Amino acid sequence: MNDADRNVALELTFAGGLAVSGAALLLGLVLSQEPLLRLGVLALIATPALATVTLALGLAARRDWLFAAISLWVLLVLASSLTVALRS
Amino acid sequence: MASTPALLFLTGAATGLVGSLLGLGGGVLLVPLLTLALGVPIRTAIAASLMSVIASASASASVNLRRGLVNIRLGLVLEVATSVGGLAGGLASSLLSERALYAAFGVVMAVMGAAMALRSGTRNVISDLSVDTGRLGGRLQEGAHTFVYRVKRLPLGLFASLVAGAVSGLLGVGGGIVKVPVLNAFCGIPIRVAAATSTFMIGVTAAASAILYYARGDVALPLTAAICIGSLPASLLGARLSDRVHARSLKVLMALVLAAVALQMGVKAL
Repeated sequence: MNDADRNVALELTFAGGLAVSGAALLLGLVLSQEPLLRLGVLALIATPALATVTLALGLAARRDWLFAAISLWVLLVLASSLTVALRS
Repeated sequence: MASTPALLFLTGAATGLVGSLLGLGGGVLLVPLLTLALGVPIRTAIAASLMSVIASASASASVNLRRGLVNIRLGLVLEVATSVGGLAGGLASSLLSERALYAAFGVVMAVMGAAMALRSGTRNVISDLSVDTGRLGGRLQEGAHTFVYRVKRLPLGLFASLVAGAVSGLLGVGGGIVKVPVLNAFCGIPIRVAAATSTFMIGVTAAASAILYYARGDVALPLTAAICIGSLPASLLGARLSDRVHARSLKVLMALVLAAVALQMGVKAL
């Protein structure tokens, strides 16, 4: 996977996450449906996390181990936040 | 003041547009607008702001990646410092008085605003394409012209990212308000690349905090939805417009935003 392919994968991840989130938020607002609003909010929060996973995989595929490791560090921070959130 | 969905939509759109143009995410503008103008409680405003920052950052990133403006390696290196700063900010929040925090932030913003204004005519690009840009430097395409840039004073960039993370954790803003001016004025990064790279990473920074606010029940769902629905298309528009706006105009706009934020923080500190 070259840099251009990795960037396309990232673009698709962002676009997909925003499409799901935007549609759920809009429908949830119009129909006054709390479950849809929750889905929209959670899909939005998950989008940067999924992009970071895509980035880590793209860097690992290029054997760019230093930056793949940095991506994993960022994921670790996100996972720590999720752990704290689930415990609270 | 009653906040109708239409008003919240417009607020999200306005802050998303400016935020994506300047790489700020818009939180630094949204929190004061929601609290001071619309009477939204501060915790609800911060939670909505973090969600809007994620929406704006993700929308802008999809456009900026295609245009080759995002320096992913630099963004990742800076994110390490930002994430540590975020943790430190969370820990320090109980030790600092609110007034001291506002005063320190206001002074930093005023200094950065002055630096941006003074350097608004300076470009960080190199026309000689044979120059070694190092592992973190890159290329920038502007119309028919291709330029390169080198990263200078990386430790300062890392320190700014550390501060940005702390500010993000403490005030619910993306941190771009600290990163972009430092990267542009002191680290040799062109303003468009600084804004795009900052935007790419502040979504991640904001997501780490947003999940905590969501778990605590601070995310007001209809209010947040209206703001994010406004922010999404406006951020896409801002990212596309940034290509057509002159770099100097972006720097002047950034200087004005910094001055406004510094003034607001100064008033709160008094």
